[in-house]
Amino acid sequence: MSRRVAVTGMGLVTPLGIGRERFAEALFGGVGGIGPIENFDAEAFKSRCAAEVRNFSARDFISARLLRRMDRLSQMASASARMAVEDAGVDLASADRGRMGIVMGTAFGATDVVTRFAGTLFTEGPRRVNPILVPNTVMNAPAGHTAIELGLRGINTTLNHREASAEAAIACAAMQIREGRADMILTGGGDILSPFFFSVLERFRALSPQNDGEEGARPFDRRRNGPVAGEGVGVLCLEPLESAHARGATVYCEIAGWGMSGAPAPANDWPDNPDGMLRAMQAAMTMGGVEPESIDAVSAAASGGIRSDRLEALALERCFTGASQPVVTSIKGAVGESFASGGVRTATMALGIHSGRVPPTLGLTEPITPLSMVSADSREMPVDCGLVNACASGGTCVSLLLKKS
Amino acid sequence: MNSKDSEKKDIRFSMKSDRVVVTGRGSVNAIAENMDDFAAALQNGTCGIGPVTLFDTDGYRTHIGAQVNGFDARQHIPAVYSLKRMSRSDCMAMAATLEALAEADLLSMADRMADRTGVIVGGGAGGMLECETVFARYLEAGADRMPASPFAAFSCASSADHIATHLNLMGPRTTFMTACSSGATAIGFARDLIRSHAADIMVCGGTEPMCRITYSAFNALQAVDPEPCKPFDRHRRGLTLGEGAGIVILESLDHARRRGAPIYGEILGCGITCDANHMTAPDTEGIGAAAAMAAALADAGVSAQRVDYINAHGTATPANDRMESLAIGRVFGNRARHIPVSSTKSMIGHTLGAAGAIEAVACLLAIERAFIPPTVHHNAPDDECLLDVVPGCSRPARIDTVLSNSFAFGGNNTALVLGRFTEEGGAP
Repeated sequence: MSRRVAVTGMGLVTPLGIGRERFAEALFGGVGGIGPIENFDAEAFKSRCAAEVRNFSARDFISARLLRRMDRLSQMASASARMAVEDAGVDLASADRGRMGIVMGTAFGATDVVTRFAGTLFTEGPRRVNPILVPNTVMNAPAGHTAIELGLRGINTTLNHREASAEAAIACAAMQIREGRADMILTGGGDILSPFFFSVLERFRALSPQNDGEEGARPFDRRRNGPVAGEGVGVLCLEPLESAHARGATVYCEIAGWGMSGAPAPANDWPDNPDGMLRAMQAAMTMGGVEPESIDAVSAAASGGIRSDRLEALALERCFTGASQPVVTSIKGAVGESFASGGVRTATMALGIHSGRVPPTLGLTEPITPLSMVSADSREMPVDCGLVNACASGGTCVSLLLKKS
Repeated sequence: MNSKDSEKKDIRFSMKSDRVVVTGRGSVNAIAENMDDFAAALQNGTCGIGPVTLFDTDGYRTHIGAQVNGFDARQHIPAVYSLKRMSRSDCMAMAATLEALAEADLLSMADRMADRTGVIVGGGAGGMLECETVFARYLEAGADRMPASPFAAFSCASSADHIATHLNLMGPRTTFMTACSSGATAIGFARDLIRSHAADIMVCGGTEPMCRITYSAFNALQAVDPEPCKPFDRHRRGLTLGEGAGIVILESLDHARRRGAPIYGEILGCGITCDANHMTAPDTEGIGAAAAMAAALADAGVSAQRVDYINAHGTATPANDRMESLAIGRVFGNRARHIPVSSTKSMIGHTLGAAGAIEAVACLLAIERAFIPPTVHHNAPDDECLLDVVPGCSRPARIDTVLSNSFAFGGNNTALVLGRFTEEGGAP
């Protein structure tokens, strides 16, 4: 079986706002979501900024009975999934929920819960740990809770591979739809910030400001000095194109191809060449049957990382050598590096294709590459084909090909 | 060979097949660190459960587990591969990978082949065992005094990263983390990637370390038996945690044939569902588990009549074994009581993220060496588990088709159908 895969809905819980409309208004309007950390005390850290989710009222989306059992990431995922279903115009009560599934990606899971659990274990001892916390310590908690909340009994799984978790999840979900193993899948992913997790990132010097210089996210910019951490969840509703048409659903775009690859890299570090990213993009385009000349826009993985942005720029320069060049953007200047960011970024590309807009790369003023970057303001232009790139520390790369339907 | 046969053969070879076969197997677990020992231990009903010594269990309700005692990474991993920043979990996965690649005759791979080879690992606690010590230090002395380097291996993604980097593999790479079904799901998706021509060869499976957080979590849920677990037994009281890794090398049949690879079996089908009922307790009706088994059989195009052996999830918690028996009944009807069933967790413990993969390896050994692995410590049958549970030591039997179950927290159910390889495919 080989069915075409349509994106028919999206739900978002992001630093730029909750829900598709608020998110899109802010993002395409050039509003940034990065600011001083408010959700926890970051006074002791050198990095004090983040793109935090605020004003998220989980009870607006989740039944009271289940809400109290969910950790914060699960709440954000369940709310996003609920919004995606509503956006897709699906009536769950009459849907065949045995054929509906969830495939999520998360890089670190509920670090807040794990920290609390371990805190009790190591200070008060094993008999004092709270069993209520246990279900939320596993990475698949968001997908599990969401399945219970929405009653979805089809394929359910969770991918957990650093910054490429959500893009891999979307590729996995698209594969299941294509092969006819499910009739609808909610897919995407996300991560949250928590104090201990943030302190580990800080200790690894994984965040801006590295070296001297001002803290800030500046993807592809000469003055970049590390990513700014972010959080958020994005979930897409995928279904076969044919059934989307049959029920008269709005089709934002199709997921026409995906490419996954890896390049050798030191532990938790970046590869020394751009081959992995290049291969992922080429595989996605080959699968979708399009040439590099047909790509109109690329949502880059670039986050302001000193080496990772350079690698991706090189991969893009090698990939797009023809006369017709895509525009390149990274929304991580607006939403930070939220690790499993592929749900939010794929939703962005789907919106861009649907509405003919490419969002800006905030923080970019002096590009490191001759590629055609979209910087301060979003650009109105037809987008028929777009790539969404993910590149994870450790060398794993994923690229998704989105196509106007 | 008569002319009719050779004609048939020509047709077979001219058609591009989407069959995915197993060309190598590897596992490190509580009863064995190589295939021959694993097969012997499974046949003899060796139990690997004993005192936990990886950390102090003082203050815990239970003190036993199925540890890989005396695991020495360097016995498996040659010095050319640095172990720097590799966790115990990473090392076990790498050890199993090297064994599987040796079996597959792939230890030295041409670049062109490595470019088309990927890695998918099912993970669990990842580098938690090492990071726990650091976390305790953080609680005592604060972030500034905490050594950060163990966190490089914290993510369970690091196993796939290390394997791919050490072996120069450039194909698709990712990690599944669905607790106790991770390993089986990784194998299922790796098969998808080969069938869609994203890769020719996939290194896939799962790995799981014993660690304090997991141990205390299962203690807190009162899901563990203070004595070695007794799957499907009337007096069962819970599971026994284990650790280890299981890796299989999957390959498209065409590719395996072209290079004359040994073939140990075929991945026939995979079914994944969700209970959508409760985060930790299995659905008492077994609907989600039955749906996963049915989906795997449908995906394989195999009728329930053809299953010769069921490698059960069989954790030995009262709820799981009752539910699983019911679910097997839903799928197999009256035949449920007559299909041999066993839980190898009685010997290797519940290895969580690795379980589905180690059990797939056990099934492939059972197919190859014609035996049904036993369920040790199963003495008293339970009226709620009306199955042909194979106790004590193994039963000789030719096995062509196996169903292997993995059920997890989050209501995640994965079932795999594995088969003996025959040229024709389908029923032997």
